[in-house]
Amino acid sequence: MSTDTASVELVGEETVQNVARAALFAALTGAFAYVSFPNPVSPAPVTLQVLGVFLAGILLGPVWGGVSMGLYLVAGAIGAPVFAGGGAGVAELFRETAGYLWSYPVAAFAVGAVVHGGVQIRDHAERHVARLVGAMAVGTVVIYASGVVGLSVVLGLSLQEAFVTGALAFIPAEALKIAAAVGIVRSDQIAAE
Amino acid sequence: MIETRELVHRYGEVAAVDGVSLSISDGEFVVVAGANGSGKTTLVRHFNGLLDPDSGEVLVDGTPVADDLVAARTRVGMVFQNPRDGFVAATVGADVAFGPENLGLPHEEIDRRVADALAAVNMASRGDDRIDSLSGGERERVAIAGALAMEPTHLVLDEPFTGLDAPARESVVERLRALREAGTGVVVVTHDLRDVWDLADRVVALREGQIAVDSPPVSARDRLADLGVRAP
Amino acid sequence: MTLTYRPGDSFAHRLDPRTKLGFQVAFAFAAFAHTTPRGLAALTLVALGALHASGVSARRTLWEYRFVAPFLLAGPVVAAATIGPPWVRPAKGFDTLLASYRVVLVLLVSAAYLRTTPVRESRAAIQRLVPGRTGRMLGAGVGFVFRFLPVLRADLRRIRDASAARLGDERPLVARMQLVGVAGIARALSRADRFAVALRARCFAWNPTLPHLSFSRVDVPVLAGSVGLVIWATL
Repeated sequence: MSTDTASVELVGEETVQNVARAALFAALTGAFAYVSFPNPVSPAPVTLQVLGVFLAGILLGPVWGGVSMGLYLVAGAIGAPVFAGGGAGVAELFRETAGYLWSYPVAAFAVGAVVHGGVQIRDHAERHVARLVGAMAVGTVVIYASGVVGLSVVLGLSLQEAFVTGALAFIPAEALKIAAAVGIVRSDQIAAE
Repeated sequence: MIETRELVHRYGEVAAVDGVSLSISDGEFVVVAGANGSGKTTLVRHFNGLLDPDSGEVLVDGTPVADDLVAARTRVGMVFQNPRDGFVAATVGADVAFGPENLGLPHEEIDRRVADALAAVNMASRGDDRIDSLSGGERERVAIAGALAMEPTHLVLDEPFTGLDAPARESVVERLRALREAGTGVVVVTHDLRDVWDLADRVVALREGQIAVDSPPVSARDRLADLGVRAP
Repeated sequence: MTLTYRPGDSFAHRLDPRTKLGFQVAFAFAAFAHTTPRGLAALTLVALGALHASGVSARRTLWEYRFVAPFLLAGPVVAAATIGPPWVRPAKGFDTLLASYRVVLVLLVSAAYLRTTPVRESRAAIQRLVPGRTGRMLGAGVGFVFRFLPVLRADLRRIRDASAARLGDERPLVARMQLVGVAGIARALSRADRFAVALRARCFAWNPTLPHLSFSRVDVPVLAGSVGLVIWATL
């Protein structure tokens, strides 16, 4: 059977590259959920998921970083064990921790937009340390604001109670992740990519 | 038929492929040989338009590849070195079906092609196996099946024997022999001719992006060692 | 928590994935709209019915979700506690307890989906529910996430083992996170680049043949029930 080649709409080279990277970063963010370190300032261990969100925004830019985190959520919803503790399923998007998850695409977009100064990706944006730190601080605010609101809505807590339960103990570790992320994107191994 | 005319491909200042004119007929078994960095991989990636030439042109069955990428990519199937990162699905059958699905073929035609391609690599009835559970040789053969499901006239394999043990290499060689007998053109990229010496109609050896040798294996034998190519 | 698809011939196995996705969302809406003892009692019956129709054991599923318990119990405790007399406000704690319980119900229903729906069908559902190129991109991209998740997990495990072997566990936390991050991302990027070339060689297209999906008579009662749940949620 011969193929009617004219009817096949190939995905363009640049888009293929971006889709591949977005999917790999979504998978990496899921894999990061399994990597935990003891937290020096709190009993809750540090996992690297949020690092995945930051790095998707920085390295893929706002648009594809956001797409990547969208893929992460959809893959998790239909069963890929990518959420904290290997969780999966639509219910994860309605759980008390759902607010954090829903914020990931927005946070990756925000981080990317601040680092690259707009929607277009710019080369060597990672050279500006202040901008990197500022971008990730914005990302952290987005994630925790959404997470606390989610916690408050899903469990019927007041915002203060939700903040105490879901943010106070975790925010210090975010500063460490921001420091790690700056080192990662400025390392020779990644900058060469 | 695959033709390149005065093909040049540069990475920065370096010409990885430097004026190569080559013609590969249907059904021919060609080995593209050369040391690391001689331009082998870069050359064959032009055969189905994965790279754009800096100058010169590439034609498949007389049509410039850039004019019909889909035709070039269905006629020239490509199996990459270390195919592990090229699989799109977790199971064998789903992966082999990926190419035909992209061509928009009807379901029955896709099923037939997957079955035929798996049979051609001795993997019939293995469609539900998980790719991660396969041995290196089996994975190489699944990658070949993924390319064959496009029903190409030529199959290009980049270093197909790297990292395989002797029985696995033999299982791949045996499949290549069967393809050759079935009339499929085969292009093997390698720096080690020992596995495919008996199968090759022709050896094209590259040095610094240019053709240094283009002849039947027997008459090429004496010159290969200087080009960093191992021969039996 | 590894609730994954298991082949079977239960009622839920025969449903179209779109029906099951719709039901889950409708159920969640209803649970959020009717977080009262009576509402949740009714929804408990619905959830148990869904599990039964899926051939899934409620007890075993709850055991799978045992790690969720501390988070769900912390909420009511925090809500009930108050600084200063009377120190404990049971009514407030009870409200949050109900809120936690509805999360458990939503988790059970979603477990039924995961057990009865292969990834292939879920992807097909996405490609049909989300129109055009966005749906195509989502369906394909999600498949790639499933494909590479175990690969990248293995990469990270190797990186951590290697760093622990070089006494990496004694270095400061930021340095260790950096080490894992740099190596993990470098590998993910190079895998992505090789993968992209392979996708192009295999004619990755916007308009491929999609897997078969079709509604049948068994979907009708579940779709009607979902509509009923949504209507009840908005009352």
